[in-house]
Amino acid sequence: MAEVVIRFEDVTKAYRKGGEALVVLDHLDMSVEAGEFLALMGPSGSGKSTILNLIGGLDLPDSGAVWVQGTDVSRLSADALSSFRANHVAYVFQAFNLIPVLTAEENVALPLLLTPLTKAQRREQSRFALEIVGLSDRMDHKPKQLSGGQEQRVAIARAIAMDPTILLCDEPTGDLDRDSADQVLELLARLSSEFGKTIVMVTHDLQASEYASRTVHLDKGVVVDPTIA
Amino acid sequence: MSLSLLARRQAGGHPMRTLLTVGAATVAIFLFCFLRSIVTSLDAAVEASASNRIITGSAVSLFQSLPSAYMGQIEAIEGVESVSRFTWFGGRYQSEENFFAQFGCDPETLMQQYPELLLPDAQKRAWVRDRRGAIIGQGLADQYGWKIGDTIPLIGTIYPRVDGSDWEFTVCGIYRSAKPNLDEVTMYFHWEYMDRVLEEGGSYGPRGTSVFVVKLADGFTGEEVSTAIDAYYSGGPQRTRTQTEAAFQAGFVSMLGNLPTFLGMLGTAVLIAILFGVVNTMTIAARERVRSMGILKSLGFPNRIPVRLYLMESTGIVLLGGGLGMLLANLTQDPLRAAFGTYIPVYHVTQDTYVMAALICIAIGFAAGAWPAWRASRLRAAESIRRGV
Ligand SMILES: Nc1ncnc2c1ncn2[C@@H]1O[C@H](COP(=O)(O)OP(=O)(O)OP(=O)(O)O)[C@@H](O)[C@H]1O
Ligand SMILES: [Mg+2]
Repeated sequence: MAEVVIRFEDVTKAYRKGGEALVVLDHLDMSVEAGEFLALMGPSGSGKSTILNLIGGLDLPDSGAVWVQGTDVSRLSADALSSFRANHVAYVFQAFNLIPVLTAEENVALPLLLTPLTKAQRREQSRFALEIVGLSDRMDHKPKQLSGGQEQRVAIARAIAMDPTILLCDEPTGDLDRDSADQVLELLARLSSEFGKTIVMVTHDLQASEYASRTVHLDKGVVVDPTIA
Repeated sequence: MSLSLLARRQAGGHPMRTLLTVGAATVAIFLFCFLRSIVTSLDAAVEASASNRIITGSAVSLFQSLPSAYMGQIEAIEGVESVSRFTWFGGRYQSEENFFAQFGCDPETLMQQYPELLLPDAQKRAWVRDRRGAIIGQGLADQYGWKIGDTIPLIGTIYPRVDGSDWEFTVCGIYRSAKPNLDEVTMYFHWEYMDRVLEEGGSYGPRGTSVFVVKLADGFTGEEVSTAIDAYYSGGPQRTRTQTEAAFQAGFVSMLGNLPTFLGMLGTAVLIAILFGVVNTMTIAARERVRSMGILKSLGFPNRIPVRLYLMESTGIVLLGGGLGMLLANLTQDPLRAAFGTYIPVYHVTQDTYVMAALICIAIGFAAGAWPAWRASRLRAAESIRRGV
């Protein structure tokens, strides 16, 4: 059995809205193994994005523990969290989240500034990442000059340039047409199978979930058995 | 790829907005340098004043002449090394608008009392010999294109010639000044020539002397000699008022009243306006970049990075604009000095002013970047990405 890289232990998360507490995650237990390509599905508002935010330490649980690679993320200081994020997780969002004033290559190289790599190494690594996503010929283009699918692939290149263990994708194909979506999904599947990345992908798209190695359904903050859903 | 590249790219993302802000900073810092230089240039004349010269004028008003006979009497007072006469001529060149200062004076004593007046020996000798000769400052020579040997016709206003003709002076020398208390936009001619014309009835106007410049003998203070001179004339025929050269210069400055204070306030107002302008630019820029900052955080950049980016951008913009403003202030020194003419003859921008301007730029840059930077550092990454969408 493979190593568990992400484990939610009795995690509860609620937001207060106008005095009322909205429970988003309700004593959630869940784990993801190394190299898995997990699809997270569920109705809008069921807490999918919240789960990703908790894994990446962008948000904190109210109770329970979120273990990522043996560290309880919810107990890290702000600075420790930053460096944890830089070292272990990378995000791919629905809205491509590239910095509009930077070229594709510069966007990919951006997180590498956090590493001790030299300028030449950073360049090498970001070009390699762009190569993997098949966009070597577009590295000098600004996000505006790219199609949606290409933008998303640049975002994926940026995510993998850091060589993170975990890739968190929030509806990565939500804004894409079918063909572009399939390209992106194939790429993600390849990253998991060929490069051993652990991927957690939130999606509304059943076809997208077919690329995943496992699918978890979420409703009202708890994992539901897909067979009854 | 580097953070400063990102800061530059972000500033360049809206070239028009950035350029306008840079332009505003250029104008503001230029105005600051300009206004401050007016004040420092006026002060410089006071500060550079000689401590071994005092000036005796009428106690009633600067426009009241003193009898020329005072010269010999003052020379006899203890502590006086030499005395020279200066009479304000007030002529116009060709038309009413062309006004500059002219004084009738005693050439030899003047040159001996004012070592800061630089004139080649040959020109000195030529001037002393030529009774209708005059010397002019380099500034006047530049402004009117006068050369040695030229004749300068002047229309007498205080001293109109009886036959209606112009006064005529020959340029014997063009002087430079070694210190800011002596300007380069004045014409000096022989007091005795003017007095002779008056005596012979060739011109209307009062005979006499506007002021006497007294050079102190070694070991005497301006204060004691001033007191002695004024005491000597306390009973008339005309009472005198003797001041140090510095006080005399300061008196001219104070005739400008609250102008220096007013200029200072104006300069401050300009700086506050540009501060608002840059704050406004940075606030708009920051609002657009909430998302980019969230991306940086989600990539694992610590909080201080967005802070640094905003500060780099805003100080960069202000320093670029301010640098151009300082350059402009530097390049316009000569034309402005020419334009000010007699009013601020030594106009120039001091080192201090540049240093102050640079410090102000940095301060404005930081102040303007601080607010968005602080906001950015407090934004949670998840929230900023959500808000940015
Ligand atoms: N910062 C916040 N403050 C208040 N409520 C929040 C906050 N973040 C999320 N929520 C609420 O928590 C619930 C779960 O949000 P979450 O983003 O995890 O849902 P989701 O499953 O990703 O939904 P979707 O499919 O629409 O993206 C939603 O009802 C949302 O409105
Ligand atoms: Mg979501």
